[in-house]
Amino acid sequence: MSIASRRRVQLAVLLGPVSLFLAVFFLGPLAIMMVTSFLAPGLYGGVEWTFYPHNFGRILGFADPMFEDFDPVYIAIFIRSVKIAALTVFAALLVCYPAAFCIARLSERWKNFCLFLITLPFFTSLIVRLFVWVLILRQTGLVNEMLLSSGLIARPLDLIYTDGAIILGMVYVFIPFMFMPVYASVEKLDWTLVRASLDLGAGPIRTFWRIILPLTAPGIVGGAIIVFIPALGNFVVPAILGGAKVMMLGNLIEQQFLAARNWPFGSALAMMVMSVMLVLLLVYVLASGRRGADATLNR
Amino acid sequence: MKIARSLFRGSLLAYTALFFAFIYIPLVVIAVYSFNSNPVNMMTWTGFTTEWYAQVLGFKTTVSENALYIESTGQLIQAVWNSLVIATSTTLIATVFGTAIAIGLYRFNFLGQRFYRVIMFMPMLMPDIVLGIALLIFFVNSGISLGLTTIIIGQCTFLISYVFIVVSARLAGMDRTLENASADLGADEWTTFRRVVLPQLLPGIVGGALLAFIISMDDLVITYFIAGVDVTTLPMFIFAMLRRGIKPEINAIAVMMLTFSFVVASLGLYLRFRQK
Repeated sequence: MSIASRRRVQLAVLLGPVSLFLAVFFLGPLAIMMVTSFLAPGLYGGVEWTFYPHNFGRILGFADPMFEDFDPVYIAIFIRSVKIAALTVFAALLVCYPAAFCIARLSERWKNFCLFLITLPFFTSLIVRLFVWVLILRQTGLVNEMLLSSGLIARPLDLIYTDGAIILGMVYVFIPFMFMPVYASVEKLDWTLVRASLDLGAGPIRTFWRIILPLTAPGIVGGAIIVFIPALGNFVVPAILGGAKVMMLGNLIEQQFLAARNWPFGSALAMMVMSVMLVLLLVYVLASGRRGADATLNR
Repeated sequence: MKIARSLFRGSLLAYTALFFAFIYIPLVVIAVYSFNSNPVNMMTWTGFTTEWYAQVLGFKTTVSENALYIESTGQLIQAVWNSLVIATSTTLIATVFGTAIAIGLYRFNFLGQRFYRVIMFMPMLMPDIVLGIALLIFFVNSGISLGLTTIIIGQCTFLISYVFIVVSARLAGMDRTLENASADLGADEWTTFRRVVLPQLLPGIVGGALLAFIISMDDLVITYFIAGVDVTTLPMFIFAMLRRGIKPEINAIAVMMLTFSFVVASLGLYLRFRQK
């Protein structure tokens, strides 16, 4: 056997089975979901095999005239989810960005230790980390107990089951996602450029806007995308910290699958979440080129 | 200027301290209050007790029935067992597959390699609710009944990505000259792989496997959709408990889970960071 054909066999052995696995169990399901989103919902759950664009219509403004008038509630939930996800990104950046500068300038030993401390919570139970905030924020929670007993407030505050609680919970669980890419670009920052800018008479604020921010932008954008994607379709955080009052896309999708049993409509909603993700990724990959994307994702 | 600078340094340091406080104080709070004997108001300290832990672990306690969930310890243990079975199987499969891809992409150049690499990141980046419902539709349509098998298959799709990334990072930092030396000294390809590449790669593989194990143990959303009615995993069990109201037992379970994952994750992260 020639070397070239032997290598081809080796490659096929290495990548063949797993490619098949992912084609069947990853790409396959997504394709079926896509098809389902264009089918009509059956009367008793299930689907009817006819082309039916009104699943998307219910969200975007051309609902099936046979059954209902267009109700903007779904697009409102979509916009609200985008808003909450965007605020989460912004808050996470505020939390992580200054800390990244501090940690980047520590000695090697401390640096590694800090990175370890930041990564560690990612591997502890998500639900436990959210539950902790329920204990802290609820009516009889830690914050209210402390404020009540110190006499600062007379009645417990509504802290939980609000948009703020959802954002707080998401920031808490997504910190590692934001921190790692931001840190990667902060660490690479060339401080001689900063010094040059200061020496040449630019003030610290101007130096920040013109030198530091542009140079760390790839990390900020990377972190923003990696946080925005899971925040947009999140279903666990609103379910635990948002109560029944705050509806987000994730809860709406869950409801369509497990309660309303309107799978085509649920699929259409999921398709919208997925398309937002694909557009963001495409923009990112095209904008930063392959090397930048790999560096961010590999952290 | 000098004062301004050290002031800036100081506030940055203080900010970073707050940053770590934000991450860890909630976890300390729950650990402390899990020993609180107050059965009704969990955040008002009334005394030290280990009863909640005893209750969860199935020992006889004097706790009144009102403060407890109806579930027996048996159901909790069943949930833990299911999670362990799932995590062990997915870790084995995902580690073999993820490592195979990493090695394949490292050693060979082929058409569409860049595209393939991007595709490998997709399962990890896919919002979990999207993957969860896509798998649900797929399994229901293909007539595979929901249960342990579907959970294992479903979790593997994204765990492969994680292992792939960890092992790739290890491969990227590897010394290729050793491989060339081995080949020059007459070792065949298989021997070189077994005696030179694999030992260097092993920490990456073990690290990736441990992380896959932890993530599998923790997965809620995807499992939630494809578990069917008969199988409950540990995160699903706690999620169901939370939805019915909060009682001190959860504290004890939560702290035991935190401790467990801290130990396993520390080991995994240690193996990953050590290479640098």
